[in-house]
Amino acid sequence: MSNIVEARALEKSYGSFKALDCVDLTIPSGAISGLIGPNGAGKTTTLKSLIGLCDVEGELCVAGRDPRVARHKLMEDVCFIADVGILPKWLKVSHVIDYVEAVHPRFDRKKAEKFLSTTEIPANKRIKNLSKGMVTQLHLAIVMAIEVQLLVLDEPTLGLDIIYRKEFYDRLLNDYYDGNRTIIISTHQVEEVEALLSHLIFINKGKIVLNASMSDLADTYTEVLVDADQLVQADSLNPIHIRELLGKKSYTFEGVARPQLESLGELHTPSVADLFVAKMREDKHG
Amino acid sequence: MDKFAVLQFYALLKREFLEHRNLFLGAPAVLAFLILVAAVWVASQVDSAIIVEGLEYLAVLFDGLSPFDMAPFFLLLSIPFMMTLYVCCLIYLVNTLFQDRKEMSVLFWQSMPVSNFQTVLAKLVTVIVVAPIFYVAIIFCLYLVAIIWLAILGFTNGVAIAGIGWMFLAALASLILIYFSSFIASLWLFPTLGWLLLFSAFARKTPLLWAGGVFILVGFLESFLFGSEYLANWVQSRATNPNQYLIFDLQTIVARLFNYDMFFGIAIGSILVAGAVYMRRFID
Repeated sequence: MSNIVEARALEKSYGSFKALDCVDLTIPSGAISGLIGPNGAGKTTTLKSLIGLCDVEGELCVAGRDPRVARHKLMEDVCFIADVGILPKWLKVSHVIDYVEAVHPRFDRKKAEKFLSTTEIPANKRIKNLSKGMVTQLHLAIVMAIEVQLLVLDEPTLGLDIIYRKEFYDRLLNDYYDGNRTIIISTHQVEEVEALLSHLIFINKGKIVLNASMSDLADTYTEVLVDADQLVQADSLNPIHIRELLGKKSYTFEGVARPQLESLGELHTPSVADLFVAKMREDKHG
Repeated sequence: MDKFAVLQFYALLKREFLEHRNLFLGAPAVLAFLILVAAVWVASQVDSAIIVEGLEYLAVLFDGLSPFDMAPFFLLLSIPFMMTLYVCCLIYLVNTLFQDRKEMSVLFWQSMPVSNFQTVLAKLVTVIVVAPIFYVAIIFCLYLVAIIWLAILGFTNGVAIAGIGWMFLAALASLILIYFSSFIASLWLFPTLGWLLLFSAFARKTPLLWAGGVFILVGFLESFLFGSEYLANWVQSRATNPNQYLIFDLQTIVARLFNYDMFFGIAIGSILVAGAVYMRRFID
């Protein structure tokens, strides 16, 4: 499987603050990757770098192009939805469709209109008169009607209620993703995207702290609800995170073989949210 | 240029119009309306015999004369529109690359396969070529209403309609002069256009203040460091050259367009526009 994103030693600073600190990143074609990190971790800077909206140092290749020198050509192959309502508020819905149809060679108007017909978005309304959920639906309708290799979503459902959020991801998975396209999603709502993801990327303080396929996670990370009499032995195996759970202690291990852990207590694969907390705490303490 | 590129550029121009229709259509329409209201009010205050007398004089004056010879009369009447156009273009240029960054819609525009050069070029074409068309169209509507009014007045008072017809032809001819006056003035002011676009692309806040402040600072530094005032004198000489703002006959258009001063200004303006395109590249 070839990589649609290849980045080496990406650096970006805002004054003394390092937003990206020697980031190496590869994302295989066809993957649905989740870029997860706390506020200020560098998620948005990473995503903006991938589409040429941020001037980073280092080697960067997205869909065969350097976004810093060929953004407008790259955007024929890449779509982007940002965390803020970025559709121009003064435009009418029909104007947005007209504009994208005129400037994007891979936009299918009929597809967009078909999608919009399943929503309650009126074509003659201005964006400023739509709810945030409708604006996101409209943007998704546009993006889904564009035949591209890579879709970049930066907190796309931020501020939406649960119905819109669920519908957004359902549409994305059922109506858009075809196994060939690559999707990168940055979000705080880890639980909502966990089931979609084929790859997971954690970023913290401008550094990538995890980049693995979901199938590899089960092999690499194990959470153990440790029996009281096994705590000393569990501590000796260098857990990356320990937390209290129902009066017991839950240990998260990285790279420790499961047979070695079976005697300690009940084993299972950590959820993405638990693993995220574990990796962030590991970074904080270690 | 292929058909898609033409349609793409047309969409960029349409975007500029939709976003700034108040400046390009609303402002001249309001001005035309105010002029009409003022004209009706003045007419209601003046004895109708004096109006008819004035109309008879104008009808005789215009009768049989070449429309282009008489067009400057209407060109001077359109000066309020041209002043409005320049003010609106200034407001437009200083905000156009700033506003979408402020409201973050720049992320949407930049997510489309449109280069920064195309975006900035569309804004220049809007100012130089497209905006004057709207102003000329509004002036045409105003002249049409005025001529119909005068024709009815003339017809009911026995004034020779033919003279009023010649007056209308002169008004139509003036529209061509108005358009080329705006077109040539925009090219003459190309360094100003580039300067405003540069700071519209650069400033995080108050782009007009940046554009004005940096200009004053550069002039002050030149005076302080070199004891000269070349920049201020150059700008003053261009700003106060009336020949480049009003075109009174079509024969002078070529001379106004193709001269050393015009080329030099366009070259300086192009460097500033290139700076605006460069500043537009990244959002952070």
